[in-house]
Amino acid sequence: MHYPWWYVPQLTAPMLIAVIAVVHVLVSHYAVGGGLFLAVEVGHAYRTRDREYLAYLRGHAAFFVLLTVVFGAITGVGIWWIIGLSSPLATEVLIRTFVFGWATEWVSFFVELLAAFIFLYYWGRLPEKKHLAIGWIYAVAAWISLVLITGITAFMLNPGRWAIDPAARNFWTALFNPQFVPQTVVRTGGALLLSSLYVYLHASIFARDGRIRNVIASRSARPALLGAILITAGGLAWYAFLPDSAKATLASSAVMNVFAGVLIASTLVVFAMLYLGPYRNPGWLSPGFAGLLFLFGIAAFGAGEFVREAIRKPFVIYNVVLSNQVLPEQVPQLRAGGYLNDGVWTRAFVAEHYSDVMADGRIDNKRLLDLPYKDRLVLGKVLFLHHCNDCHAAKRGYSAVGLLLQGRPREQTRETIERLDDNYSMPPWCGTSEEAELLTDYLMTINQPRPAGIHPLMKSGGESVDEYGEME
Amino acid sequence: MDPAMLVERAAAGTPAPIWFVQLFKVLGFTLHAVPMNLWYAGLPVALWLHLRGGEHGRRFGGRLLRQMPVIVAVGVNLGIVPLLFMQLAYYKVFYPATILMAWSWLAIIALLIPAYYGVYAYAWGCKNDEKEMPFWRVAAGWCAAVFFLAIGFLFVNGFSLMDHVDRWPELWRDHSMAGAALGTALNLGDATLWPRWLLMLGLALQTTAAWLLFDAEWLTGNSVGEDYRRWAWGFAKKLYTVGLLWFAAAGSWYVFGSWSAELRDSMFSWPLMGWPLVALTVLPALSPGLPWLLILFGGRTRAIAALVALGQFGVLGVNAVSRQVVQNLNLKPYWDVYSQPVDVQWGPLAMFLVVLVIGLGVVGWMIAQIRKCDFAPPSNVP
Ligand code: HEC
Repeated sequence: MHYPWWYVPQLTAPMLIAVIAVVHVLVSHYAVGGGLFLAVEVGHAYRTRDREYLAYLRGHAAFFVLLTVVFGAITGVGIWWIIGLSSPLATEVLIRTFVFGWATEWVSFFVELLAAFIFLYYWGRLPEKKHLAIGWIYAVAAWISLVLITGITAFMLNPGRWAIDPAARNFWTALFNPQFVPQTVVRTGGALLLSSLYVYLHASIFARDGRIRNVIASRSARPALLGAILITAGGLAWYAFLPDSAKATLASSAVMNVFAGVLIASTLVVFAMLYLGPYRNPGWLSPGFAGLLFLFGIAAFGAGEFVREAIRKPFVIYNVVLSNQVLPEQVPQLRAGGYLNDGVWTRAFVAEHYSDVMADGRIDNKRLLDLPYKDRLVLGKVLFLHHCNDCHAAKRGYSAVGLLLQGRPREQTRETIERLDDNYSMPPWCGTSEEAELLTDYLMTINQPRPAGIHPLMKSGGESVDEYGEME
Repeated sequence: MDPAMLVERAAAGTPAPIWFVQLFKVLGFTLHAVPMNLWYAGLPVALWLHLRGGEHGRRFGGRLLRQMPVIVAVGVNLGIVPLLFMQLAYYKVFYPATILMAWSWLAIIALLIPAYYGVYAYAWGCKNDEKEMPFWRVAAGWCAAVFFLAIGFLFVNGFSLMDHVDRWPELWRDHSMAGAALGTALNLGDATLWPRWLLMLGLALQTTAAWLLFDAEWLTGNSVGEDYRRWAWGFAKKLYTVGLLWFAAAGSWYVFGSWSAELRDSMFSWPLMGWPLVALTVLPALSPGLPWLLILFGGRTRAIAALVALGQFGVLGVNAVSRQVVQNLNLKPYWDVYSQPVDVQWGPLAMFLVVLVIGLGVVGWMIAQIRKCDFAPPSNVP
């Protein structure tokens, strides 16, 4: 914990990453697939001298630029902003590892931007061949961006050898991680599929001419179905190369079950609608149909992205950075010397407010228990915020610990802390036993009583019954 | 509290030589500053001219506004370079500073999206010389201008806070709960904040003037007459002069009214570590004189317009170098960039440089294609 922790009420700071990331991918995939759509279709329209289709495509290109160059690009920058704020240690590690990957991606982003503007603004003023070439430059540059960024997100899910073998720690092993190919295939497929859904939605509203709508419906069904195949194939490989803990989380966590279910169900619906609709019956392309298709597509993408973000727990980068901003190799030292002691800001906090427990600039853990109760609570809260708040709100809010504890008695709460990683979605307890005491003190103040009204005979037998009673 | 307690010194090896990081940070910032200046000061100036200007003023306002979507896109893109390399070598101070003001820092993104759409709303609604525009488009344009000024203010907050670790304890104390940052701080008590913000506005006015000349002489093609060019030189003269005076005032405030005594001693010292630092104080201060004199006395030619633009790029460049040195000096007691270990990734570094050259080649080819067309910015986007 070398960085300050940002407390976001109710939601927790890392959830902001998930929110921005999900919104971003919904546009960024279109930024890649839509570029390919425009290049292929403008080429087709030039060859067949289809002026009406060209006119439609020009309008589509304006919509495309407006959405991807502004919203897509700026939310992409937004991800960078939010990871630095919510997950600074992981961001630091990613930047150090991938700086030249990012710099290279920046080059393709630059090429992409200029190509997009020239493609749109010089439409009709450039010779057809040149115009088309610029469309293709955009498409290729955008796909290169996708590949590089996917390399980084894939690394977070499974860095493979890089994480465990110090000799293998270089850029290339990081980039060509076990998840790299599967995720690149999935995301390429996703770009093809999602952009067809955007095209359908746009065309169903703005393509007035029935013939044009039919051309679009049938021509864009093929990349969409190809995308569906890539997603399925890549998705299977993605699953095969997941770390075991991620597989287990996917299988065991109720929330993940639901999201995975939404993902699979909405993907199937999208496939079926694509096949029955645009592919077999292009005439079905009404705003209602296209809108519904788009919504199912968004549900699938959103769920997929959420699963991707969530199954890494307790890591931000699997086996490299824990989500409470410590490295796995620091854990033994934290357990011996104290969590508060090792955190730069937590130690400064204790030194500032509780100089009595300091000895030679370090916290003397034994003295922590001599503090008055109200100070123990403060430090317990410090521990909660810096050790748990990356995944849990306190009393209410996202995965609130107060609610999860459900009136658990003190002894058991204390045991939960010391055996935190019995639940492998959680990091190991990274503090001393004195710190566990302080955290227990604090947790008992936010521990919500067991809900009333449950049939009294249903309380489990054994010694904890009375204690539950005491809580109420 | 000793602020040094808040910075962790132990560091892993940086994958690029520090001089390389500094080079790309400074070069990237200079390149970013050109378009940034144009939306910072150029946007309100253009909006005003388009609304209230005479025939030529309205024309220039319309041109700059129609160019603005591309300018913003390129400027944001170029901003990535300094930010990336900054995070590579200054992460120890960058993350804490921005976390202390997290909500405001995040607000940059929240403001940028509507600002950017506001620019489009104006640009895509503004046909060549028509005066009448729907009210909502005008309002969107003005909102964008205000948002960009606000974004600039938030950036100055972030970077002045990053430079001044000594400000952290107080802000942390006032904006935290049980040691966790609430993200609600702003660096308002920092003496350098306001002059830094105003300094950039002065530079931005100058850059707008230089752009006006460059555009008039190089990018208008045959679409404007001699009259317009004469107006352009006259207006650029006034605008640059205002920018120069503004810069001088804010710069003096900045250097003499807000720098710490030690910093001023260093920056006015003759060789420090072999660098004549005083040159990096005096040169940025005097540099705008060159484009200004060129505008006043150089004569109204295309070559002079190009020299003015180049000169202004130089002004931004020396300012960026000077800022970098000041930043390093401010940070030195807490985080000495040059003392961190280095473990260079030569292969990936080479890959980046090769791709950069290829990318610039592709960009060059694309620009060559549109040069063969009419270079005037289109006004008929669907
Ligand atoms: C990496 C994320 C993460 C961190 C950090 C984390 N938890 Fe959890 N925790 C989880 C997840 C995921 C669950 C399962 C939640 C669910 O099923 O809704 C969970 C469940 C719990 C539960 C209820 C289940 C049980 O095992 O009793 C408690 C209590 C709990 N956490 C306490 C804590 C405390 C206290 C801390 C800090 C010391 C902490 N957690 C840190 C992710 C985390």
